[in-house]
Amino acid sequence: MTMSQIVIDAVSKDYRVANETIAAVRGVSLVIERGTFVSIVGHSGSGKTTLLSLIGGMVSPSSGRVLFNGEDIYTWTSDQLSQYRCEKIGFMFQSASLLSILTAKENLMLPVAFRSQGTPDGGHGQKAERLLHAVGLSDKINAYPAQLSGGQQRRVAIARAFMNDPELILADEPTGDLDEETENEMMQFFLRMNKDHGTTFIMVTHNSELAGRTRQHIRMHQGMLQPA
Amino acid sequence: MPTLFSFAFKNIKRKPLRTGILMFAIALLAAALVFSLSFVQRVNGSIKKSTERLGADLLVVPTNSRGAAEEILLENRIKTFYMKRSIIDRVRALPGVEKATEQVYLVTVAGVCCSVPESMVIAFNQDSDFIINPWLKEKVRHRLGKGEAVAGFESAFNIRLGLVEMDSMLFGNVFRLIGSLEKTGTGFDTAVFIGMENMPAIIASGKVKNLQPDDISVVLVKVKPGVDPASVAASVEDTIIEADAMARKDIGKNIIAALKDISRIFTMTIALTAVMSFFLVWAIFTAIANERSKEVGIMRAIGAKESHILTLFFIEVLVIGIAGSLVGIVAGIGMSAALSKGFTIVKQLSTELSIGEQAVIAAVSFLGGTVICVLGALAPIQRLKKMEPLLVIKAE
Repeated sequence: MTMSQIVIDAVSKDYRVANETIAAVRGVSLVIERGTFVSIVGHSGSGKTTLLSLIGGMVSPSSGRVLFNGEDIYTWTSDQLSQYRCEKIGFMFQSASLLSILTAKENLMLPVAFRSQGTPDGGHGQKAERLLHAVGLSDKINAYPAQLSGGQQRRVAIARAFMNDPELILADEPTGDLDEETENEMMQFFLRMNKDHGTTFIMVTHNSELAGRTRQHIRMHQGMLQPA
Repeated sequence: MPTLFSFAFKNIKRKPLRTGILMFAIALLAAALVFSLSFVQRVNGSIKKSTERLGADLLVVPTNSRGAAEEILLENRIKTFYMKRSIIDRVRALPGVEKATEQVYLVTVAGVCCSVPESMVIAFNQDSDFIINPWLKEKVRHRLGKGEAVAGFESAFNIRLGLVEMDSMLFGNVFRLIGSLEKTGTGFDTAVFIGMENMPAIIASGKVKNLQPDDISVVLVKVKPGVDPASVAASVEDTIIEADAMARKDIGKNIIAALKDISRIFTMTIALTAVMSFFLVWAIFTAIANERSKEVGIMRAIGAKESHILTLFFIEVLVIGIAGSLVGIVAGIGMSAALSKGFTIVKQLSTELSIGEQAVIAAVSFLGGTVICVLGALAPIQRLKKMEPLLVIKAE
């Protein structure tokens, strides 16, 4: 019997704002198998981003467990969580989130510098260029974020998420700034990576058409899962 | 591949004015450290060396001439003072005195001979001397004859070209300079030495005012083993009313007291500069921490460990601290050289700092500048290190 890649076990997350407690995620349980492409849809404030952050080891749950390959990631040390984010996960944020003083290529190569294993330089530069080419930015390799449009920055961030060959991509509205044609190209790219490399995708989106192209759909409402 | 080093250097270059201000503050601190430590060390070293090399346990001088004698010995000043020769016999008669010798201090007149500036001439008794003779034996190897002189290592008469024989006019008498002494590190380095047997001719020349044939300037005393020089000094002062006495350890006491005040001022200045530098670094790095919190959040989210964040910011702090300290050390050395010309006490000192002492001062200043820079940045960096990656996502 193969182990599920992600198991979310009765996870809740409360935020305390002033004197009020806001339940962003309420008792969510979910199993995601390796190599699947899952889309999460729902209204703003429904808890999609928080759920993604919980899976990504960026915020600890108020209760419940998040298992990655059978291990509860929130029993890990801060360094183990960092290593998990660096080597197992590729994260695409709601905005590009690039470092302004690094070029597109340098932004891609930054996660390699954080790997705990030795990182011989051979091949990383070429890989970064190949990924930038794959997202249609061959001519922007040495451009700084300020020299790129919002859509181009978004594509650099998409390419960066694949730099360390992650097992899991967590994408928070990754095509939000893109025009329809580029959005379609990026979706093709994701599907190809999912199919060819077996990379698991969990993608938050408002776009029901995009969600329709994924294998598994999840709807969130007021912090809870609903049948899609 | 961008390493943490190259990333840190890019960050340093990102705001050149801010980096410049930080470096300037650290440089100021390091320069102040170099200047004040050099000053204090030079004065302290000069006093220590001069008293150590004096060769006498006790100095007996005319009443109220204690300060002038210290100035000659420690600051290369040109001074004269006289007392009656009979005092040496009264000193020799005191209990605890092993040997005593006398010297007469004279001042040449500037411009009389050879474009040589005003200088001290010291006539010493070659029969009883135990101060000059040991140095003389090494260089001249015979008793100084009448009309013969030796120059101190830094004397204006010692032109240091190997020319050790030249005729000089001193007080209307022709003297043959037959050698020069090794550096002693005392005020004697700038003097010219002659034998006491020349004194009758010099006095007869009438070129030295206020000097009588039976006048001497100083009696140098060696006490018997186990005798406290301070107790002999007290005996001198009690029994010889026309003389003051200084034990070797008391020589330079007034200068040391003045130096302590100057040191206190320097210490306060350095402390204030250090506090100012600390708060400047803290304030600027607090601003940097706020400005770059999103950047840190992104790095944490894509896998940076706390140690990566610490390393990145410490590289930046260390580069600024090290560069600032190095600039400060160079500026401090320049400042010491330039300002010491304006400090009479330093200008007159007979001792320069050794390479080792200079290296220690540079190292202390370097550490001082760098450590203050690191300490100032510590709290903001610790705060940044703890930043959770979710912050960046929330901020979006």
